[in-house]
Amino acid sequence: MIGILGQAALSLAFVSAILSTWFYYRAAQKGGSGSESIANALFFLKGAFTFFASGLLVYLIFTHQFQYYYVYNYTSSDLQNVYLWAAFYSGQEGSLLLWVLSSFLVGLAIIRWTTPAYRAPVMVFMGMTQVFLLSMVSGFPIPGWGDLGASPFRTLASEMPDSPVFQANPDFVPAEGSGLNDLLRSPWIIIHPPVIFLGFAMMTVPYAFALASLWKRKYHEWIHPALPWTLGANLCLLTAIFLGGYWAYVTLSFGGYWAWDPVENASLVPWIFGMAGIHAMLIQKKHASSHKASIIFAILAYVTIVYQTFLTRSGILGDSSVHSFVDLGLYNHLLLFIVVTGGVGFALLAIRYRELPEPKKESPVLSREFMMFSGAMVLFLAGLVIILGTSSPIIGRLFVDNPTPPDQQFYNNWTLPFGVLIGLMTVVTQVLWWKRHNAESLAAVLIAPTLIASVVTLAVVIWVDMRNIWWMVYLFAAVFAVAGNGLVMYQIFRKNPRRAGGTLTHVGFAILMIGFLGSGFDRPMVDQRTRDYNRAVAAGQVFDDDGFRVNQPIEFVELEKNEPKLIDGRYMVTYLSGAITEDNRPGEQEYEILFEDVNSGRSFVMRPTVYPMLSNSSPGAVEWTVDPDVRTGWFSDIFMYVAGSALVDREIERMNRENPGHMQTIDQLGPQMADHDPEKTLVRVRRGGTVQIGEYTVTFNNFIYVDEAELPENSIIGVKADLLLVHRESGESVQLHPRFILASDDEAQYAFNPPVSFALPGVQDAHDATEAGADEVGPSGSVRFREVHPDSDEIELAFRGVEGEPEREWILLAAEHKPLISVVWLGTFLLMFGFSVSIMYRWADQKKREAQEKQSREPGLSGTEKREDEVRDGQEEVDNEDLAESDGQSRDKDKSPHPTELK
Amino acid sequence: MRPRLIFGIAGIVVFTSLVMYNFSQSISSYVDFEQAATMDGDRIHVIGIWDSTQPAGFSTETMTFSFFMTDESGNTRRVVYPRPKPNNFEQADQIVVIGQMRGDTFVSRDMLVKCPSKYNDATNPELSELQ
Repeated sequence: MIGILGQAALSLAFVSAILSTWFYYRAAQKGGSGSESIANALFFLKGAFTFFASGLLVYLIFTHQFQYYYVYNYTSSDLQNVYLWAAFYSGQEGSLLLWVLSSFLVGLAIIRWTTPAYRAPVMVFMGMTQVFLLSMVSGFPIPGWGDLGASPFRTLASEMPDSPVFQANPDFVPAEGSGLNDLLRSPWIIIHPPVIFLGFAMMTVPYAFALASLWKRKYHEWIHPALPWTLGANLCLLTAIFLGGYWAYVTLSFGGYWAWDPVENASLVPWIFGMAGIHAMLIQKKHASSHKASIIFAILAYVTIVYQTFLTRSGILGDSSVHSFVDLGLYNHLLLFIVVTGGVGFALLAIRYRELPEPKKESPVLSREFMMFSGAMVLFLAGLVIILGTSSPIIGRLFVDNPTPPDQQFYNNWTLPFGVLIGLMTVVTQVLWWKRHNAESLAAVLIAPTLIASVVTLAVVIWVDMRNIWWMVYLFAAVFAVAGNGLVMYQIFRKNPRRAGGTLTHVGFAILMIGFLGSGFDRPMVDQRTRDYNRAVAAGQVFDDDGFRVNQPIEFVELEKNEPKLIDGRYMVTYLSGAITEDNRPGEQEYEILFEDVNSGRSFVMRPTVYPMLSNSSPGAVEWTVDPDVRTGWFSDIFMYVAGSALVDREIERMNRENPGHMQTIDQLGPQMADHDPEKTLVRVRRGGTVQIGEYTVTFNNFIYVDEAELPENSIIGVKADLLLVHRESGESVQLHPRFILASDDEAQYAFNPPVSFALPGVQDAHDATEAGADEVGPSGSVRFREVHPDSDEIELAFRGVEGEPEREWILLAAEHKPLISVVWLGTFLLMFGFSVSIMYRWADQKKREAQEKQSREPGLSGTEKREDEVRDGQEEVDNEDLAESDGQSRDKDKSPHPTELK
Repeated sequence: MRPRLIFGIAGIVVFTSLVMYNFSQSISSYVDFEQAATMDGDRIHVIGIWDSTQPAGFSTETMTFSFFMTDESGNTRRVVYPRPKPNNFEQADQIVVIGQMRGDTFVSRDMLVKCPSKYNDATNPELSELQ
């Protein structure tokens, strides 16, 4: 019932969206506020219906109505409320709905704050995108064709009409849903998707303004209202990218914050094009040129959002992304969406292209507009390369069948030179932006950053032994950008902090560049032996049993409880404890690993967790999932997780015992241990250490050196192990002294180490222990001293007849040293802060401008559109002259208080 | 305008050809195990599914995770992966391993686990689940 209501609400929303777009079109065509009022009313109605439908969906989720496909697929009754809330947009249909809602809110803001001249035409294009988004979730019934799109209110029965369950009982309701993937049960899911869709929605604004400007032939004005929105969209996308990266890094054990995954690129490319657009708009604002670029970038930023949505949601990327969507039957729908948004945009551009204003004279190379324009072009090219890589399933077909995504190296190799260019250009452009220069004066300003960059680069190259020439160039550019932009920022902050947004973002970007370099220096933290092994692997000197060269280093170490190991040449790590805590999830285990820094003497405990996750796809199956712990430092992080442990193995065994029927879970120890001989038990034990075997505890007290007189002939050296075997239950014990004698004949060395038999303590009918008699009757065991490992002070013993595997408490520790992660975050925060400052400044600037226009229009009321443009042109020229004459001081006139600013 | 225009066009041509060339070099085809055995290089992509009937696990001795995978042509081979089992491995409805064949074993450098669950599979869930 509620489902029908929800479906109806979405269908009505869809219809009102179409009608409102139509009335906006009429209003924009003919003018007159009548049509516009109707259009506004329909727009509100559409929003109300969408909110109502969303509310119903949330209600269905919270009341666990599993007869609905969406509710069944993404929730279960044990989900906490926050995740039930998040489940609203965990699926594809719901996330589209969220996009519609965000766009509606942005649309409201446009209606409220946009000047009347632009309102209707802008809303036409805003409405157009909404019609498409809504059509994908409306489920609007079209007679003779079927439902439009994939409605979140579909029932399970309608989704699977052929399934026997529903044929037997059409009213069947599953008792439980398949639940939300555990990896998504993280607080980040509350915030990450809404921010990203808000960003997508805001990016519609510059697109709509650009098209409205083309349509209405008002090529100048649109950038003023569009600029704060573009900045806002970029702020949202950046925040979303940051949240996603941080999420991936700290909880998902992807091993880093960025992997060039298509879904990540899907928000990066619009961000880059948005950046290019912002720069083009600023040129247009200050210099009355680059009108074409502003419009093209504004269109591209939105079209790439739609294009990347198509890539990730159409199933095309199925094989190449770790988290792409499965096709919901929206393939053609999405394709049409791109064709229309791109088609309308570029068709309008083509029609008006000749009319668009051209700069009267060419700008000199050393002008801010030329440098900035070049910067925007570099951003544009970088975006294109990333799109190319992401589109490999389509474009790759030009070269090979069934193309794979490009190696990450492709992205890294290309973004590096672009980064270098952008880094250098930010400084030059920033310097030129605030003050006009000739080549000589510019060079004078750039001396300081160049010197700083050279010294720092040289020092770092020597310090970290950097060999890659490209990295050196990149490092130079990054430090140059930090120093150069830093100097500019210092001056701006002293003069007028309100205008520091731009320079803050440039410093943030420069710092980000330095941070990115850190990922080239990630290294696994392993002990000295593994390190030597890895060095040999890197040198190509290691071969496996079959004679193949090993090319994979070992990236983790095995730790035994309370036995410290030195890793990374610096940290003494000790596995302190591991226990089932069930803190956040059933069966969750928390481990405590002590890190002691041998250089500084400081120590800290890291607490990674491991939890069994119930699989949604195969009931009863459990999969073990790790949750890393990260220790954040100023210059480097320690990223670590427990990749396997004795505790996990025991849990797997217990689950298999209790639940023998269910699907196999993967044993951490693997096939090697499967053919373990229960009769024979091999153990390694350190001097002074103990090991548990079944009901017994064996302590290896010390070596006893054998007198030369006792040694057989030809012996080189002989030792005995002083062992104590204790039966834990009864406390009875036996002392054992197996021998290990190294002897040699003329040709080779060999070990003489006969087994020692003994009567098992704690068992009745004990016999006398006799040496070298393996064929005893009764409960007896034997021990053989197999090997001495002088490097680790361990011995290897082979027990026979002592039941059970040795129970050692061990973990596999995967730890990684990750430099400059905090620097990446710092750069990101500066960028966000800079964007926020810019948004406030541009917003206030625009309000001031509108107020001025109102004043100037009121007396005459005769200015036509054409004339307004000319007036604007003139003002810009004056602005520039001012700048040239007073060395940037003219900026200060903006500080003069204006009535509208006080509001 | 003219010299700059010519410079720009030449730049675009060089840039485009360079990018496209580099792009074509950095992608390859998905193949099956038999084709992989005949190929050179150590970044060969094979798609398949985990064969859960055969043993799989992490060996602390060789520090590798090994399992059996059936490719799209139905060949099953042992795959060795030099890291612990990735999260979501058991749920994956598809696995892409990237590496090379060595004898009868595929040595994988990287593994992509395509998880159905984020935006859940639209295909029919197991019906046993519903009963």
